[in-house]
Amino acid sequence: MHLLTTTRDAILAPLQSVAGIVEKRHTLPILSNVLIEKHGEQLTMLATDIEIQIRTTTAGDLGGSDASLTVGARKLQDILRALPDSAEVNLTLDDKRLTVKAGKSRFALQTLPAADYPRMNLPEGEGTRFQVTQKTFKRLLAQVSYAMAQQDIRYYLNGLLVIVDGGELRMVATDGHRLAYAAAPIEADLPRTEVILPRKTVMELARQLGDADDALEVVLAGNQSVFRFGPIELVSKLIDGKFPDYERVIPQNHPTTITFDRAPLLSALSRVAILTSDKFRGVRLVLEDGLLRIVSSNNEQEEAQEELEIDYHGDALDIGFNVTYLLDVLNNVSHEQIEWHLADGNSSALITVPGNAHFKYVVMPMRI
Amino acid sequence: MPQIRVLPDLLINQIAAGEVVERPASVLKELLENAVDAGSRSIEVALEQGGVRRIRVADDGCGIVREQLALALDRHATSKITSLDDLEHVATMGFRGEALAAIAAVARTTITSLAEGERHAWRIDASDRQPAPAALNHGTVVEVADLYYNTPARRKFLKTEATEFAHCDEMFRRVALARPDIAMQLSHNGRVIHRLPPVEHTKRAAALLSDDFIHHARPIDADSGILRLSGLAALPAYSRANRDAQYFFVNGRFVRDKLLTHAVRQAYADILHGQRHPAYLLFLELDPAGVDVNVHPAKIEVRFRDARAVHQFVFHAVSRSLAAPGAAATGLDAESGPARLPSYRQPDQTHPAAIQSRLAMDSGARDAYRGFVATAKPEALGHSPASLTSVGAADTSMARIAATHTDDDAPLGFALGQLHGVYILAQNRDGLVLVDMHAAHERILYERLKTVLDGRPAVQRLLIPAVFGIGSKEMATAEQCADVLAEMGFEIAPAGPTQLTVRTVPALLANAAIPELVRELLGELADFPASQVVTARRNELLATMACHAAVRANRQLTLAEMNALLRDMERTERADQCNHGRPTWTQLGMADLDRFFMRGQ
Repeated sequence: MHLLTTTRDAILAPLQSVAGIVEKRHTLPILSNVLIEKHGEQLTMLATDIEIQIRTTTAGDLGGSDASLTVGARKLQDILRALPDSAEVNLTLDDKRLTVKAGKSRFALQTLPAADYPRMNLPEGEGTRFQVTQKTFKRLLAQVSYAMAQQDIRYYLNGLLVIVDGGELRMVATDGHRLAYAAAPIEADLPRTEVILPRKTVMELARQLGDADDALEVVLAGNQSVFRFGPIELVSKLIDGKFPDYERVIPQNHPTTITFDRAPLLSALSRVAILTSDKFRGVRLVLEDGLLRIVSSNNEQEEAQEELEIDYHGDALDIGFNVTYLLDVLNNVSHEQIEWHLADGNSSALITVPGNAHFKYVVMPMRI
Repeated sequence: MPQIRVLPDLLINQIAAGEVVERPASVLKELLENAVDAGSRSIEVALEQGGVRRIRVADDGCGIVREQLALALDRHATSKITSLDDLEHVATMGFRGEALAAIAAVARTTITSLAEGERHAWRIDASDRQPAPAALNHGTVVEVADLYYNTPARRKFLKTEATEFAHCDEMFRRVALARPDIAMQLSHNGRVIHRLPPVEHTKRAAALLSDDFIHHARPIDADSGILRLSGLAALPAYSRANRDAQYFFVNGRFVRDKLLTHAVRQAYADILHGQRHPAYLLFLELDPAGVDVNVHPAKIEVRFRDARAVHQFVFHAVSRSLAAPGAAATGLDAESGPARLPSYRQPDQTHPAAIQSRLAMDSGARDAYRGFVATAKPEALGHSPASLTSVGAADTSMARIAATHTDDDAPLGFALGQLHGVYILAQNRDGLVLVDMHAAHERILYERLKTVLDGRPAVQRLLIPAVFGIGSKEMATAEQCADVLAEMGFEIAPAGPTQLTVRTVPALLANAAIPELVRELLGELADFPASQVVTARRNELLATMACHAAVRANRQLTLAEMNALLRDMERTERADQCNHGRPTWTQLGMADLDRFFMRGQ
């Protein structure tokens, strides 16, 4: 049964946007497959790992007859990617086998019945609904997502807190040692809603969202969230848990504020980081009158030191940090300057952007 | 309303027997200990039907005079202590004075004894308690027949003859290992199982324990002035699936003590696979006042006045002995026969040349051996200094010769080449050395990382303190051990009667599951004075780092690199085992190689 004939990219592009979430190892074989539905001139692809589901719908001149099937996502993707760019691809389905033909190449793949493919139900009820530009949402994700925990026993830290409150969208992530907060205004007036997006959803969104002003529609309802942008609809379960009270963690009145140019500080830290010990990457920041010294040493007793001239006139202060936590924030904010708020060697440090209350980063010191 | 009455004597003894006389082996234990306490030089044990039918223990000790024979069978009657002060400094095996009474309550017991100075022996039967004249050359013979003849319920709990005999045999071994100076014999159903002449510790151990154990054992001898630990600890290559090869004696008394087992286990921590059990034969000696043996009716557990010091002493002594680099050479010596383990070779004074040729390799082990022999047989010290000095002199002269003979200088020899990119082949004076280069390099890096990171750890302060529930026992431990925990990098504070807040964690373990880690730590601190949980977790990380950094298979090394690795191995502690307890190298001696080609046969 002839299914469709079209250009390689018309199949590969939607396949690539859904196949990213397919897990390599699964106990359910069908979960390594992608669901392909052809209905008239419309081609729908859907993949899921039970937690997240991504669906794309594209239309084009396809020909052939209608059908639904599931086939190994990675194999199909690899085949299509290896074909020449301009190749015309012909899919036929015979006796549960999907044949992919292009030029002189021919591949026959096993399929599993489409009816067996698990699908997530869309959330019921209205929920909280808002629109935001893809660019804004992506920027906020970039500003906080690196601070998420990975495989922490406190499962709610392995995700990102999203808050909508009135006309503001906020995101918070923490791994228990540092915390990143970012906010942006949205055109809406919504009751306060808090959800925790799983790490995988956050990563997938960061990968797929564009840098343009195109709209992203977000629905938060029950224990699910839906993101619609371009041809893609992403449905994700939410993490059910109590996120720590981030407002209590952000210090308010640190007496010392130092302004840095981001780029020189970032490069100084990157250089010093070379001579830190692999596992805990501690650097010491020594503040003196008008001078910041950044010092590190490693297991082999090798030492690095950088000096930066700063506008600081107070008591000498010696404070240790995990340099990874500092590099993370400096790499992920795009502003020219940052402000560093400090109290003493045992209290947290707050990093902000001058004249902008929408970004905050808190990091705890390390005793070295 | 039930009446309160004083129980009849027989019933009291039968109740006591329930505790003391668990099976024939426990009868044997009591009788052997009595024989030892009587100052015997020779003990003979005869069993019938696993000891159920008959246990006969004959010694040549001081004996019991006629008037006291009946008293010996009485409850709480003993010659071993007279006051509480004696109890606190007890040096005899027994002291409770209830074993014979308990045994007599559940078995047909007779004692025949010839006390020093008496004209002939007397015999007493526990049933009529009337001494009658008897024939005996010396010492005491205790016969216990038909165990549990009057308590059929207990009799049902007895296992097969073979099992009961195995228990008796084990009990016999324990006493024999502790007292090699006494000649001992064990026979079962008329067949002699062990015949042990009086020797020193090492020979007795060799006679009773498996050859493999002796072959893989490292001598231990540590003395802190107050505490002294000597004996043998098997290298991980000889580990066991169960705990049956663990002999620990405190002042000559076999114990199976939680604290001591734990200390030894920790010493084996990163050289032994978690599922395996170490094998050892250890003697701890300390002032009897420093240990309370009156804890357990069978005296299998003891209590130390300064538990922490004992724990640390045992841990460090065993771990130092296992760590000493390069000494596996002793265990893997290519020669065959019982003399395979050089540390057990008696200094052969008639052939000094033979000693000299070995010294360059074995001096470390020999030093330890010297100490071990000294502990094992104090009276041997009298004549040994002369031989020791001559050995010492030979040692230095040999070192000079060794300096010119580089071959002798390197226990692991010099590299010949690489085999399939996995093994390094090297030649040393005994023959061929095969080294698993990844495993060896991994251990070298691991030990290096450990040394660097010992000391004050870097500490990460938590942004969101971890708060979690713990039990009240754990909470008490947490408060008690706050200092110890702070040293490890945990700043803790109670957040409620059963809630604990952790504010800082060691930076290396910053990403570990904190509640689980702290609970494990508290659990161990509650039972043992020192915990290695954090060190162990840290070491796991270091082991991974070392594994990733070590050379992989198929990496081509030059001869210079291989030699550098061999020299590093000789310098590194525990280099004979990889991080998972597998050996890193092995030796094929010339004799082994000759055998392949049937040379000299």
